[in-house]
Amino acid sequence: MNRRRFLASSTFAAAGLSACKPAGSSAGDKKTLNVFTWADYLSDDAKEGFEKAHDCTVVIDTFDSNESMLAKLESGATGYDILVPSSYTVSALKRKGLLQALDHAKLPAIANVDAAYLAKALDPKMEHSVPYMMAPTVLAYLKSKVTSPEDGWSMIGRPDLKGRVTLLDDMREVLGAALKFQGNSINTVDPAQLKAAADLAIQWKGNIAKFENEQWKTGIASGEFFLVHGYAGELILVQDENEDVEVIIPKEGAAFSCDDLCIPASAKEVDLAHAFIDHLTTASVAAENMEWIGYRAPNTAAYAELSEDFRGSPVLFPPDDLFAKCEPISDLDDKLPLWTAEWDRVKSA
Amino acid sequence: MKKSRLPFATLLLVLVFFYLPIGFLVLNSFNNSRYASKWNGFSTRWYERLTERDDLVAALGNSLKIATGASLASMVLGTAAAFALRHRASKLQDAHRLLVAVPLVLPDILMGMSLLLLFISFGLKLSLFTITLAHITFCLSYVALVVQARLQDFDFNAVEAARDLGATKLQAFVKVTLPLLAPGILAGGLLAFTLSIDDYVITYFVKGPGSDTLPTLVYAMIKKSKDLPVINALSSIMLLVTFAVVAVSQRLTRPTPSSI
Repeated sequence: MNRRRFLASSTFAAAGLSACKPAGSSAGDKKTLNVFTWADYLSDDAKEGFEKAHDCTVVIDTFDSNESMLAKLESGATGYDILVPSSYTVSALKRKGLLQALDHAKLPAIANVDAAYLAKALDPKMEHSVPYMMAPTVLAYLKSKVTSPEDGWSMIGRPDLKGRVTLLDDMREVLGAALKFQGNSINTVDPAQLKAAADLAIQWKGNIAKFENEQWKTGIASGEFFLVHGYAGELILVQDENEDVEVIIPKEGAAFSCDDLCIPASAKEVDLAHAFIDHLTTASVAAENMEWIGYRAPNTAAYAELSEDFRGSPVLFPPDDLFAKCEPISDLDDKLPLWTAEWDRVKSA
Repeated sequence: MKKSRLPFATLLLVLVFFYLPIGFLVLNSFNNSRYASKWNGFSTRWYERLTERDDLVAALGNSLKIATGASLASMVLGTAAAFALRHRASKLQDAHRLLVAVPLVLPDILMGMSLLLLFISFGLKLSLFTITLAHITFCLSYVALVVQARLQDFDFNAVEAARDLGATKLQAFVKVTLPLLAPGILAGGLLAFTLSIDDYVITYFVKGPGSDTLPTLVYAMIKKSKDLPVINALSSIMLLVTFAVVAVSQRLTRPTPSSI
């Protein structure tokens, strides 16, 4: 009937489509470094400085959760030279053979990485990953509403705050907080310790308003909640706007999450990727970058170059004895069912 | 007879329902505070910040390119499919109808995953091109559905009359069939455009380096970005543009109200 016209129009459509070239490939002879990372997780100066020094283009592609990034790479998506997942996801990526070993000869600046942090890191020898940015999970409260605040996790259970508290809707964070309060490791796989932690979490559940992953920021900013469990990076921003907000790392210690730089096995620009990691670990770049993002880069040499204001944050730079009680969340691998069983008990209680 | 107040009240309710959230968003784009729950004074800081965010503008550009490409291509393919499905002639035809309808009900995550696996096995580089292909896949079904509905009360006598009067097949198609179907095709295309521009799940799986669209970038910004309220500013500007386009198109079409 109208086959010729149909063919003509579909050719036209195809031509239109192929005009939409991928932005990354049109950079002429310049090399391109493709970075798969969180949005707004690299300062403009750090990016442009690298592009100038290595005559290349840095293309950022974003993901919004470790799990969705892992799912995409596991299905075989390629084209990335640098990944920035959280530490526990680095372990999973490594286990699945999706990462390549780092060549330390190309990374002289990693000598700057904070040894106190590395001692506890999941990849202490930096075989596959170099720590990038970290921040603890903390408590924040309104000074005007919470009389005689305590500096520990016990605040969650206080009856005078009943219905005005939120906890993260996250198995590892909530059971982790309970485990810390009881003096155990947040990565324990001991069934008895887990059971005790879940029992405590059930008690807490009776006192809190809800488990909440998004509204805690706005909730404490507006005064709807008096005490929230959340991530330090965000809560420091809330505190900047509202002086009534106090942010603390509970004295028993807390979880901190760290995002690491690593190179996928399928990377094309391996040398450039190493140079990028080295660039971000350089003291001056790391210092500028962490102030821009608002997290702490575990980089001893960079600490000296920070502004006093940033360096003085008791939340990002806690005293050594408190920092020693904090732990990174590890990958549970095949012990995961132990945890989910206890978490299900909390959620259904 | 006294006029009923019911239509007016309904109109008012609908307007509030539609525009209150949007009004709140526009108001918040001028909020000096980062948090919607608190008014911290009037400020244009988020608009200023927006001018420095090349990545957001690039993502919006990507979204528009993809939506335009996908809706044009699916208008052609969807109309062709609707024509092919006009008669319930055979079992094969029924199977075809089912296959065209399936993407309407298939969960996005399944479609995203399977398209990703397909592109990888073909060795296609993930880019704007793969996103556009993926969007055509689901947009096609919507266009086919809308055009099929239009075809159901289509009077084929008009085409036959044109043929009797000496029009070639092509002439009859271009001069009679297409103009009569145009509103249906256009409606399908607009539906495809809106679906494409706010798709997140499928896009996430088939995007590659440098092809972030507005939805994928906004989702990603929720996690760590300090600049999240910039989205309010961008949305307000998009809203303004949309209103302007609608107003202009209404003015242009006013003299011939019968054409719609």
